[in-house]
Amino acid sequence: MLRAALPLLGLPLAGAGAAEEPSQEPGSPGEPPPGLALFRWQWHEVEAPYLVALWILVASLAKIAPRVQAGLLDFLLFGSLISAVDPVAVLAVFEEVHVNETLFIIVFGESLLNDAVTVVLYKVCNSFVEMGPANVQATDYLKGVASLFVVSLGGAAVGLVFAFLLALTTRFTKRVRIIEPLLVFLLAYAAYLTAEMASLSAILAVTMCGLGCKKYVEANISHKSRTAVKYTMKTLASCAETVIFMLLGISAVDSSKWAWDSGLVLGTLFFILFFRALGVVLQTWMLNQFRLVPLDKIDQVVMSYGGLRGAVAFALVILLDRTKVPAKDYFVATTIVVVFFTVIVQGLTIKPLVKWLKVKRSEHHKPTLNQELHEHTFDHILAAVEDVVGHHGYHYWRDRWEQFDKKYLSQLLMRRSAYRIRDQIWDVYYRLNIRDAISFVDQGGHVLSSAGLTLPSMPSRNSMAETSVTNLLRESGSGACLDLQVIDTVRSGRDREDAVMHHLLCGGLYKPRRRYKASCSRHFISEDAQERQDKEIFQQNMKRRLESFKSTKHNICLTKSKPRPRKAGRKKKDGVANAEFTNGKPRDLGFPDTAAVILTVESEDEEESDSSETEKEDDEGIIFVARATSEVLQEGKVSGSLEVCPSPRIIPPSPTCAEKELPWKSGQADLAVYVSSETTKIVPVDMQTGWNQSISSLESLASPPCTQPPTLTRLLPHPLGAEEPQAPPDLSPDPRTSFAFPPSLAKAGRSRSESSADISQRQELQPLMGHKDHTHLSPGTANSHWCIQFNRGGRL
Amino acid sequence: MGAAPSASAEVRELEGKTGFSSEQIEQLHRRFKQLSGDQPTIRNLRKGPRGLAEEINFEDFLTIMSYFRPIDVTMGEEHVTQSRKEKLRFLFHMYDSDSDGRITLEEYRNVVEELLSGNPHIEKESARSIADGAMMEAASVCVGQMEPDQVYDGITFEDFLKIWQGIDIETKMHVRFLNMETIALCH
Repeated sequence: MLRAALPLLGLPLAGAGAAEEPSQEPGSPGEPPPGLALFRWQWHEVEAPYLVALWILVASLAKIAPRVQAGLLDFLLFGSLISAVDPVAVLAVFEEVHVNETLFIIVFGESLLNDAVTVVLYKVCNSFVEMGPANVQATDYLKGVASLFVVSLGGAAVGLVFAFLLALTTRFTKRVRIIEPLLVFLLAYAAYLTAEMASLSAILAVTMCGLGCKKYVEANISHKSRTAVKYTMKTLASCAETVIFMLLGISAVDSSKWAWDSGLVLGTLFFILFFRALGVVLQTWMLNQFRLVPLDKIDQVVMSYGGLRGAVAFALVILLDRTKVPAKDYFVATTIVVVFFTVIVQGLTIKPLVKWLKVKRSEHHKPTLNQELHEHTFDHILAAVEDVVGHHGYHYWRDRWEQFDKKYLSQLLMRRSAYRIRDQIWDVYYRLNIRDAISFVDQGGHVLSSAGLTLPSMPSRNSMAETSVTNLLRESGSGACLDLQVIDTVRSGRDREDAVMHHLLCGGLYKPRRRYKASCSRHFISEDAQERQDKEIFQQNMKRRLESFKSTKHNICLTKSKPRPRKAGRKKKDGVANAEFTNGKPRDLGFPDTAAVILTVESEDEEESDSSETEKEDDEGIIFVARATSEVLQEGKVSGSLEVCPSPRIIPPSPTCAEKELPWKSGQADLAVYVSSETTKIVPVDMQTGWNQSISSLESLASPPCTQPPTLTRLLPHPLGAEEPQAPPDLSPDPRTSFAFPPSLAKAGRSRSESSADISQRQELQPLMGHKDHTHLSPGTANSHWCIQFNRGGRL
Repeated sequence: MGAAPSASAEVRELEGKTGFSSEQIEQLHRRFKQLSGDQPTIRNLRKGPRGLAEEINFEDFLTIMSYFRPIDVTMGEEHVTQSRKEKLRFLFHMYDSDSDGRITLEEYRNVVEELLSGNPHIEKESARSIADGAMMEAASVCVGQMEPDQVYDGITFEDFLKIWQGIDIETKMHVRFLNMETIALCH
């Protein structure tokens, strides 16, 4: 009531003051009145009432001051548990917000690692409280500090030990894939329990376990296991989060558990914000002295605002012993309010804040090949410069660590086959190819108007990302973005993102899916795509092979790298073909049994390339005789690549055209050696050995060189003879298509191949004689496919 | 460093050219002396293809190092873009060994092969195919949709800039010259 009276008091005085104004103005000596002043400072007029008002205000504020009876130690205890940033809350909020990685890592990392500090402080303060403030010795403080190190480092050590164990055991689980997820879960949980048992920091243990083992476990376990682990963990985490916050909510409603004190609550809210900001500013200032990329103001704002408290604080406060800490109920109430406030208010507003401050968001897409290459070059350059300057900086140490890792750790912990090629560039390249293959399938049958049908079109990152609804959701960052959803859409979104440029000219396009088990790839890649891929690979490789023929004409050396008897792509039992031809990567998947290379030959529109090339090929002595059937022509023109492959970049024609346009290719022989299946090759005798060799190398990719060559030579003349009459006139206009490659590789194991194994023999001749529509093998596509099955060994 | 007035005039000149402070120049000079064994120039031990210098003197050394200085973000937008361009140009020249202003496929291949040369399991073929793929990607980024008979010569500097568009290369591309006392004394 007094407060209400104040303004009334103030007014008359102000009015009195105002009345004096006119008399004062002309009284001020010498100063010309400044016209109509909009603002004048009139302190002396309101001085008295102002002071009175302030005094009363302060007095009444004192009324809401905390009335909690608690000593210093109790407050220290409370402070230790309320100041810890909670990883659960941070993760939940930040994952939606998608800030750039640096920021995310800083806040999230802080929340993870501060568990050690929280635990230590809490325990120390708790024990101090229990001992009673009078009994605390100086040594206890020292012990407290020491225990900080013990707890955190000990927890980390426990985690690393279990990480090592995990990585080591997964190295040997090749035959028992089913236990891999189990191993991961159990060992990680065991790390947690062990640390708890030793009263070390359990969160730190689990974190370190995950950090330490990720690289090796990921390489060792199968794709399915990886997926299983990922999804299960996310589900479990989701459940746990929900339960905890539900508990929080229920406790809030149950008023027997807490006691309200406005002063404490308000004070706490204010101070946590204030001191967090202060701490962030100070520490950032210190860190920036050493950072390559300093943290700017915006980052600091996000960091201080993003410090959300969560369930850990609540759990800790509930655990307080009421007999030792009489103020527990007040603390509980305050904690509940603080948690609610930070999670709800700060959590909800952080996204608009991030947008408003224009914080750098994370990049959604995977790096393109170029970027990856450049970044690597870049790292090397920087490491070199650092070395030159003599400055042992970040790159230097990172380089050292990577050397150590490569030499010792990876050899010990990673499976032999996985270890063989571990290179980031390679991984990117590989992943890009996989993605291309998948997007190829996804878009199979659709004609995307935006893409057009020309060649290397924009691999713009944004091109088709927006087409998927889930991507739209994701982009707008709506709350509908559940974690699981994100996992899903990432794949398809990225499928549509980059254009399928990474489809290479030099073959080796689709690398052996050493991580993708056949059964997995069945989910993603249909049979058609499989064949199509193989066909494409095959074509490209044959192209290369034939180009090497040309080079052999000029240089005596035979096909340079082709007959490399690498255990290249091994096909898994289920029939995912690894056409790993010329690149001959010694990627041994550990399935030495079978390999089937199913080559689908597709009629394509290659007039332009073919005509020019065949002419030149004529010069080189290899004549392509097209056996044209009108249907082929039609089909080729109508239904071929133009329609089938809306992502035209993957289409086999593209290489040739691309090659044409890329002059650096022109140095090599005219590439598109699309030896159409209708055509036959009249291979000059001296080339025959080379030809056979290349064929045998083709076989060798699937299996150790089998005894096919004799069959080959037998087969060769036959189709040759058959096709002669049809020779030249059909050369130019035909869309030269498939491959007259006498299949001689037999393979076992694939059901389809089994069924067609016996007709493979017939099939061999079929392309040569008549074009049969093997729709059963490539249903979805135009009828211009041939399927030539290469079967291994004695199946012929 | 010598106390002769000519030396300090040189230092000032270098300061002006490269933007280093005089003590940084001194430290780098010490380092240079270490590397070169007190010779006036550092010999290029690796006999590379043409385009690599035989030996560099201190001024060249400083010039190269100056590319790795942190960008002074307070100097204004235009200065920042300028520095960025310079750094990228430096990178570009690292790729472009014959300095014709274009990164051709051959040059790119060399780069990739060298990058992957540390890994004994990846052969040249794969490196080549990676280079080809990257080149095609670059072509598509830079030129967009290409006609079937269009020819893509190589990556020019503008294309190079385009590729690096989204990435803050300038923030990554610097080595801190602050704490030079930690220079390793052995080499």
